[in-house]
Amino acid sequence: MPELTGWLLDLYADPQQGGLALWLLGDDGQRHRLQQAFPVKFFAAGPHQSPVDAEAASTGLRRLRQLWLRLRRQPVPLKLSRDARRDLFLPEPIPVLCVEVAQPSDQPELFAQVSREFPDLAFYDADLPLPLRHAAAYGTFPLAYLRVTTDDEHNIQAIEALDSPWELDPPPAPLRILSIEPECDPRHAPPRFLRLHFQAMASGGLRPQTYRLPLELDAAGKPTGGSWARRLLANLAAILRRHDPDVLLTGWGDTWLLPLLLDLSEAHHMPLPLNRDPTCEITRKREFTYFSYGQVIHRGQQVLLSGRWHIDLYNAMLYHDYGLEGVLEMSRVSGAPVQASARLSPGSGISAMQIVTALRGGVLVPWHKQQAEDLKSALDLIHADQGGMVYQPIPGLHREVAEIDFISMYPGIMTRFNISPETVGPERPHAERVPALNLWIDRQEMGLVPRTLEPLLDKRIALKRELLELPSWDPRRRQYKARASAHKWLLVTCFGYLGYKNARFGRIEAHESVTAYGREALLLAKEVAEEMGYEVLHMYVDGLWVCRPGGSSHPSLSLQPGGLWSEAQRAGIPTRLQANPANGAKTAEAGPHWTPQSLGGVSGVQPLLEEISRRTNLPISLEGIYRWVAFLPSRVDERVPVPNRYFGVFQDGSLKMRGIEARRRDTPPFIAETQLAILELLAQAGEAEDLPGCLPQVLQLLRRRLQDLRLHRLPAEALLVSQKLSRELEKYRSPSPAARAAAQLARAGKPLGPGQLVRFIYMRGQPGVHAWDLPEPPNLQGVDVPRYRTLLLRAASSITHQPLGLSEAVLTQWLNAAAAGVPLQLASISTPRSSHC
Amino acid sequence: MGRTLPSATQAFLQEQEAFTRFRRALRRSDQVALDDLFASARQHLAAASYASHALPFEVFLLAMLLEEHKQVMLLRRLLEEAPH
Repeated sequence: MPELTGWLLDLYADPQQGGLALWLLGDDGQRHRLQQAFPVKFFAAGPHQSPVDAEAASTGLRRLRQLWLRLRRQPVPLKLSRDARRDLFLPEPIPVLCVEVAQPSDQPELFAQVSREFPDLAFYDADLPLPLRHAAAYGTFPLAYLRVTTDDEHNIQAIEALDSPWELDPPPAPLRILSIEPECDPRHAPPRFLRLHFQAMASGGLRPQTYRLPLELDAAGKPTGGSWARRLLANLAAILRRHDPDVLLTGWGDTWLLPLLLDLSEAHHMPLPLNRDPTCEITRKREFTYFSYGQVIHRGQQVLLSGRWHIDLYNAMLYHDYGLEGVLEMSRVSGAPVQASARLSPGSGISAMQIVTALRGGVLVPWHKQQAEDLKSALDLIHADQGGMVYQPIPGLHREVAEIDFISMYPGIMTRFNISPETVGPERPHAERVPALNLWIDRQEMGLVPRTLEPLLDKRIALKRELLELPSWDPRRRQYKARASAHKWLLVTCFGYLGYKNARFGRIEAHESVTAYGREALLLAKEVAEEMGYEVLHMYVDGLWVCRPGGSSHPSLSLQPGGLWSEAQRAGIPTRLQANPANGAKTAEAGPHWTPQSLGGVSGVQPLLEEISRRTNLPISLEGIYRWVAFLPSRVDERVPVPNRYFGVFQDGSLKMRGIEARRRDTPPFIAETQLAILELLAQAGEAEDLPGCLPQVLQLLRRRLQDLRLHRLPAEALLVSQKLSRELEKYRSPSPAARAAAQLARAGKPLGPGQLVRFIYMRGQPGVHAWDLPEPPNLQGVDVPRYRTLLLRAASSITHQPLGLSEAVLTQWLNAAAAGVPLQLASISTPRSSHC
Repeated sequence: MGRTLPSATQAFLQEQEAFTRFRRALRRSDQVALDDLFASARQHLAAASYASHALPFEVFLLAMLLEEHKQVMLLRRLLEEAPH
């Protein structure tokens, strides 16, 4: 009997021959299409009733009996049996009817009929993706390294996974990748040609190759007549056959390219071998929009292949964050197929992992979850319905600040304290009480969620440890980072899924318990830090910012003699500083604040970390020590600190920033770049005392950028604002700039819906915007310069206000005066406030 | 975002909102002082949230008092340290 080893590429129900079709990337360099018999099971149980209600129980059994008879009288080959199985949300196993369908391709249709006819029954394991069933049965996962024994007809007799998803350095699969991208964004202008690039991962002796295939589209992006389309199809078909790629990596392949190619192929009756499996149809899924965490999210249509993966760079979730390496890792650890994990949110990845854990443990996977939130008193609700602990930081500039973070706090809590839907409940023996809540956790048996998470968490920690030890030139660093990033997303969403009522294994009480343990851990950490003589500047869900008392800045840093102003004068900036008694007094008083105790470097903070870990039972690590960090107040009210708006420079000179313009997606690139450039200048300053010395350079930079703006020297792309549409166009009562730009596009025949991005430039006059994707380019002479100037100065003052004491008004005044060559009155300068005393 | 109860920030804004008529009838100088009080209560939203008191305004009042007392302590220290 032939034996093969290689990597698992794809598996799906074989519509023609029955069973499964399984693609193996063989060690021999061949791509093998194998078949495997794979009957699938689903279960039905009586309507959910209290187990003590005898009448309801007998009704349930009667209905199951009717289902049995119904299934006996239909043509699909199947086996029926009685069994008792565990529903995670019920204390005892329940009687179920087990339906084993011989051909996996028959199951969806059969189940659809049955669920329509018996809507009162509870169904389990009914809608599970085949790869997950296979994963549970054989330990397979995408790109698993397998040993397969087949007969002469390629039917699998035995299959064994030789590695596990938890291996740090799995044998690399020699994937062949063909990328296809149009020369420009097809939403912006009709592309004139396609760029193709072929390469093989882990080599395999194949040389990279590039091609260029012309397109002839009219101004609206529709194909024009002529012979070019036939040439394109013939060439593309030849390239696909020559290289036989495992991965099609496209730009806009889901939303534009593959639909266009498929339409052309149909119109010209020229088949295109996009699918590796010629017996399968190409799967097309329609676009959809949904609402999640206060945002409208739009997902484009999808084009999925068989025997080969299609990944669209611009329709893949988080591709920009972790790339192909991350997509493959997400797939490996979750068991979900590559094309699905590229497009789905990490939440579906976590859901897939839980399904596999449940299948392996013989736990039923509900089709529609019926479990509702337990009743609780209003007071219990007040205590439980809270999120993570978010402090208001002490605004202002602080120096020598350590940021310490709990490592994967929420997943760590779930595994450490055994939090899972079935372990959380009312008081009972051997259970531990959740801090400050009327909930108890059973610690006797490991729950489904911790069992799912533990290996993932271990792998993440091992990867991070490796990363710390790898030298900077090591090529594995990039891979490890991408993988660690995929793990991070899976772990983050795992927590959300615990509280999501539609998640199969979600339960709000488990979610509440996690945040309760989180708040407890953070408060314990605060207490430890304060006991050890640290000052806690800020706390944010899983991180703390601490310094030694006296490390905080004083408001009048910027007015220190010999600092800011004399530097400015030396640089030739006209200033006339008038003595201000109030400020003078503050400077005098500031004296003692400027002799802070030192943190003592990384080793100095170590005892704090150890004590927090010991007391909370959770691992914590040092994110870094800032030379200085500035916590910014609210834009609306300067007296009000906001939790997540800060920036700082670590001791190695690297920057960290949150909540400022450069981090926002809708900020025009030119403004984000300028803000970053100012931050880089500040980062070079070294210690906090040297910050005022940067001022002349900062002002010079700003003047230069403003001049570029005024003289129209900036490329149009640099001025682009990208905003998401939050609703249908006609539902805007007073149209925002984004809505006006979308209206321009709609008139030009390019309608956009909610959740889609619209890119535009601010223009003078009406309607005040020019949509970027209009057929005609914007007239750059008409750009709304004052508006961009305001945006730029606002972004600049976000980061000059705290460390340098320059507010937006002062900055504007100063730049105006400098431009006019007028000396300034600086007596009225406002200094940053600090509530700290 | 899937919450059943208003967050501490929402509760705070509602309480502040409830005093708009009161604030309107104050003199301009008193309005400034009142705004200061609310801003000082706002610094302790995290603690107010953790306290999960059934009557959040009591906690906000205490937070205002706390900030006032900090000012008293600071002024007292300055007085004591000032050269006689």
